[in-house]
Amino acid sequence: MTAKTFPANFKSLAAISDFIVRASEKAGFSPNEVYAIQTAVDEAVSNIIDHAYGGEDLGDIEIQVTNIKNGIQIILRDDGDPFDPDIVPNPDISSPLEVRRERGLGVFFMRKLMDQVIFDFSNKKGNTLTLIKFKGA
Amino acid sequence: MEFIITELKNCDLMEISGRVDSYTSPQIKEALGAIMAEGRCKIILDLKSVTYLSSSGMLTFINALKQCQLSEQGKIILAQVPPRILTSLELAGFNQLFDIYDDAAMAVKGFEVDP
Repeated sequence: MTAKTFPANFKSLAAISDFIVRASEKAGFSPNEVYAIQTAVDEAVSNIIDHAYGGEDLGDIEIQVTNIKNGIQIILRDDGDPFDPDIVPNPDISSPLEVRRERGLGVFFMRKLMDQVIFDFSNKKGNTLTLIKFKGA
Repeated sequence: MEFIITELKNCDLMEISGRVDSYTSPQIKEALGAIMAEGRCKIILDLKSVTYLSSSGMLTFINALKQCQLSEQGKIILAQVPPRILTSLELAGFNQLFDIYDDAAMAVKGFEVDP
C-alpha cells in the first residue's frame, strides 16, 4: 500500500495523475486501463475540490493505493462536506447540444471506467471514496 | 499544457499540447473566448499532442461550440484526436456533437470549401 496527501487544489491534479499512473502501471494494467484509472481519479479529485470542499485550498486529499487480487483499490479521503456521487444523476449523453447539461459528467466517468465506486461518510473520517478496478474487466 | 493559435485565412487553428484538466482548461476557455470575441468562430482544435482530457476540458470545448454556433457558419472542429481521448469523448457522447478530422490540414480545407 502506498499513500500520499495532496493539497486540495487543481494544481495538484498533474501530480496526482503521475502518482496514479505509476501505481497502475506497476500493478500491471494495460495503457488503456491506466488512462481509464487516471481519468476516474482526476474526476473524483475535481469533484472533491468543487463539491466537498466547495473551492480550492480548503483542505487536503489523502490518496491510498493498494494492489488487490487482479486489480487495484484507490481510496480518496477528504474533510469536506459530505458528497455522495450516488445521488448525482447520469447526464443524458444522447441529448442535443442546445439542451446538453453539464452536471454529473465526472461521476459518470467514474462509474463507467471503474468496476466499483463506493462512497462513505463519517464525522470522524470525513468523505471516503473507494474506487476499484480489475485487470481486463 | 501549452497551446499555439494560428490565424489562417478562413479559420483559427489552436494546437494544444499536454494535460487539459480543471487546472488548465480555464486558460483554453479564456483563449477561445478572446478569439470568438473578435467574431472569429471557425476554429480547429488540434489535439494531436494532448496527453489527457478531463470532463472539464470537454465542457470547455462544448461551451465554445455552443457560443460559436450562435454566429452564422460558426463551427468548432476537432482534429488529430488521440485514440484514448476519442474513446473518452465517445463515452460522453461528445463525438456526435463535433466534426472530427484525422488530419488538421483536411480540417482547414473543410472550412475553405464550406464558406
